[in-house]
Amino acid sequence: MKTGEPGLITTTLEKALEWGRSNSIWPLTFGLACCAIEMMAVQASKVDISRFGSEIFRSSPRQSDLMIVAGTVTKKMAPRVKRLYDEMPYPKYVIAMGVCVIQGGPYVEGYSVVLGVDRVIPVDVYVPGCPPTPEALTYGIMTLQKKIRGENTR
Amino acid sequence: MSEWVELNMGPQHPSTHGVLRLKIKVEGEIVREVEPVIGYLHRNAEKLCENTFFCDNLLYFDRMDYVGAPGMEVGYLEAAEKLLGVPPPERAIWIRTIMAELSRIASHLVWLGAYGLDLGMLTPFFYAFDLREKIMTIFVEASGSRLLTNYCSIGGVYQDFNEKIVQEIEDFINIAPSKIEELNSLFVKNDIFISRTKGIGYMSKEVAIDYGVTGPMLRASGVEYDVRKAEPYLAYSKVNFEIPVSSKGDNLARFLVRIEEMRQSVKIISQAIKKLPDGPFFNPKAKKSMMIRMRGEGEVYARTEASKGEFGVYIVGDGGVKPYRVRVRSPSLKNLSVLREIGKNVMIADLVAISGTTDLVFGEIDR
Amino acid sequence: MEFQPGEEKGKDGRKIIKVKKEDLLSTLESLKKKGFNHLSLITGVDRKDYIEVVYHLHSFESNEYVVVKTVTYNSKVPSVTHLWKSADWDEREEYDLMGIEFEGHPDLRRLFLPQNWVGHPLRKDYNMKNVQYINMDEDGEDYATFDPGDGW
Repeated sequence: MKTGEPGLITTTLEKALEWGRSNSIWPLTFGLACCAIEMMAVQASKVDISRFGSEIFRSSPRQSDLMIVAGTVTKKMAPRVKRLYDEMPYPKYVIAMGVCVIQGGPYVEGYSVVLGVDRVIPVDVYVPGCPPTPEALTYGIMTLQKKIRGENTR
Repeated sequence: MSEWVELNMGPQHPSTHGVLRLKIKVEGEIVREVEPVIGYLHRNAEKLCENTFFCDNLLYFDRMDYVGAPGMEVGYLEAAEKLLGVPPPERAIWIRTIMAELSRIASHLVWLGAYGLDLGMLTPFFYAFDLREKIMTIFVEASGSRLLTNYCSIGGVYQDFNEKIVQEIEDFINIAPSKIEELNSLFVKNDIFISRTKGIGYMSKEVAIDYGVTGPMLRASGVEYDVRKAEPYLAYSKVNFEIPVSSKGDNLARFLVRIEEMRQSVKIISQAIKKLPDGPFFNPKAKKSMMIRMRGEGEVYARTEASKGEFGVYIVGDGGVKPYRVRVRSPSLKNLSVLREIGKNVMIADLVAISGTTDLVFGEIDR
Repeated sequence: MEFQPGEEKGKDGRKIIKVKKEDLLSTLESLKKKGFNHLSLITGVDRKDYIEVVYHLHSFESNEYVVVKTVTYNSKVPSVTHLWKSADWDEREEYDLMGIEFEGHPDLRRLFLPQNWVGHPLRKDYNMKNVQYINMDEDGEDYATFDPGDGW
């Protein structure tokens, strides 16, 4: 019931910060391969990521909080991934999207693919699938939000 | 004496459509030399194909041109089925035609959305992906997957078109032309778009042929060449469509050729869905228990018109269950190599507009 | 199987012209004069004791397709970059992955892999177990290394 009276919530400053942080995750525009197309679909109108406060894809790592590693990380690309991660300001988060990023996927037997991006940078949330649907990536971002807020996900 | 400054663009750059790195030498704001550096998505698909069964290799082809996966499957199967001697039945051919054309529209829509972003227009991206979602629902209904469908298989297709898919495709045909017009008007009625594309990035006919450019880029330079007409495969000889050609050779021409191609694709789909014959959708010679035992000997080259250009697959078999050598003619690789020529002596901002029109997909360039 | 120069028809109905390595350039030149202005593809096939090099040519005017095939025992063939510009990257790619040296190529470097990568991956005798890693130096150039501590 709306009475017009101002409401009152008591919380700690940390909780308020976490809440704000979790609802304004700005991802980095960082598409590597197939999964990047699904990452674009997440941005588009059907599964609108801006409902979760992540609508602004920054082109520069210095302005972003979240790196969605979307697509196969090759050995040649891995030093760049590391460097981009280093350029991001704290606090920073990483979502590994797709099996190629998690463990190599269909290219696991090859000679030029890194077997999992977690050998290069720390990963917060793994989203499996080849490629994961936009819904799955949205769920991954919601899981990350829960992680930032320190909620129990189970 | 003026000084040249060397700049690096990419591999992480919003307008390189993936992991392209451009080494450019600039004099003031004019690009004097541009050298693309590729290989950041080299996933050794050709090597892995040699260690995998003929039927399983399809998955690496799906992941080449990932924005239009069924088009790639068709290209591989054209070659593999000739090598193995298992031709698909008539119904499967028509189904594949529909899927290939749908994937062409899907691929062009991604390109349209991304090209809008390159030029600083955000709105067309949402419109393009809205229409693309309709194609994705058809793909999900047919194959269960959105992007990398793995729908076609050796000797036919994975499952038959049911009534729901046919209904969805008909719905798509009804709404697509008006949506494409809407998208087109978003671009061509915009003065900024016209001034950034008209007369910029000119590529002459001779340069295009010399560098082996194919697809919409070649047609925008005035060569009427389309594998669907030159060497008809699937059911393309039985449907009516036209090849859009422009003699202008600039960015705007390449844009308009792609828009017209989408219209023609809708035309092809609407004819194919009416002509869809009854019958089996799978060649019984290639049933699931036989699939990994199929042997191929000899060598076959097949070329198809993918959304980027002429996609060729060259398979050498030594009589085993796995191919001896698989080689892919990637259209995007050739289309990118011409950037060294047409990216010279332009402004840095125009370089983005030019490299955008080449329609790069790195899964296919680096493989 | 002995390599015999001559003409034959492939399994896919394309005309295959087999030539000796010495006659390769003259054959391709005469084909270009006939109007084959589109070099579609250069392929190397490792046949263990020799390497087959296959050229796919296409003519836009007459819509003909022809396949030219040659063999090389010392993995060296003459470059055709002066005839078709599209051969440039194709030859670099084949040099990178197959190890064919194209004599006369203006800029024969690896296309995909770092310059000091050891071996050519598409060769049949390439050892996949010998893992190589790649790292980046301060200029942004890549280098390959066998040391897992110095690369990814």
